[in-house]
Amino acid sequence: MAQTSVDIEHKTDHIQHHFVDSDQQFESSKLGMWIFLVTEILFFGALFAAYIVYRAWYPELYLEASTELNAFWGTVNTAVLIGSSLTVAMAIRSAQLNQIKGLIYNLYITIGLAFIFMVIKFFEYAEKLEKGIAPGAYYTYDGLEHEKANIFFSIYYMMTGLHGLHVVIGIGLMVWLVIKAKKKVFHSGYYTPVEITGLYWHLVDVIWIFLFPLLYLID
Amino acid sequence: MSGHHISSAKFLWGIGTALFILTFITVAVTWISIPAPWNVVVAIFIAVVKATIVALFFMNLWWDSQFNVMLLITSVIFFLLLVGITLLDTLYRSDPIPSF
Repeated sequence: MAQTSVDIEHKTDHIQHHFVDSDQQFESSKLGMWIFLVTEILFFGALFAAYIVYRAWYPELYLEASTELNAFWGTVNTAVLIGSSLTVAMAIRSAQLNQIKGLIYNLYITIGLAFIFMVIKFFEYAEKLEKGIAPGAYYTYDGLEHEKANIFFSIYYMMTGLHGLHVVIGIGLMVWLVIKAKKKVFHSGYYTPVEITGLYWHLVDVIWIFLFPLLYLID
Repeated sequence: MSGHHISSAKFLWGIGTALFILTFITVAVTWISIPAPWNVVVAIFIAVVKATIVALFFMNLWWDSQFNVMLLITSVIFFLLLVGITLLDTLYRSDPIPSF
């Protein structure tokens, strides 16, 4: 892609004075994001710990209550998120190759897939709330025998709800990336926000990769 | 920027396809009945394989500084510590099982 002298002038704008060079700055940003991802793993880890403790106490509850979850739509959502991880990786690749149009298109597709995930989630929640399957004290559903059914759904809503919130935050971040990309902020020499938002997005996908079999596919 | 690994589009699509296939396997495995604790072990094992593929090839850890790999592995170790020590308590409580 032809570069004007204006483009070349701005290629080093991003380098901040306290870094030796662009590479060191990039590596530092990535390290910072990985440390944040560690906190996210521990954050969701605590919720998984609650899941595990309660399942060890009431395995038959999980078997019964999980029949209310629709494994088909859970699978669709898994495919949607994996697809969105692929497209965000393609977006980063576009930025690396200075293909800013490709970057924007791939970000749009990723946002679209994330949106589809939330729409499916919305219908899943709506169907449950209509029946009276609500978290904790608000649970009024009769269809399950187990007396602790409301606790299973508290765990379900807590885990999938917080995960969904992370998806929405990811959508917001990627919209911001599109806005910046349209302003020509990113190029093959500087795409750090795209890279680290991608890392965040992949973690959101990985968390769902564990949530899906543990909630939807209980035998 | 020098030294940044750029994956080919073919490679990324290949990883995506592998993940879709593993997702199908995740569901297919529930169609065979596997006895009690092992069905969970198999499900978690497949999930770990998928997560590792995402971490190595989408999150670029295969080509990245090993410090980042160490951070990821350490967080998993601490998660296992959290669950392990908690279970050492909760699995061996005599009674009563709490009211919640």
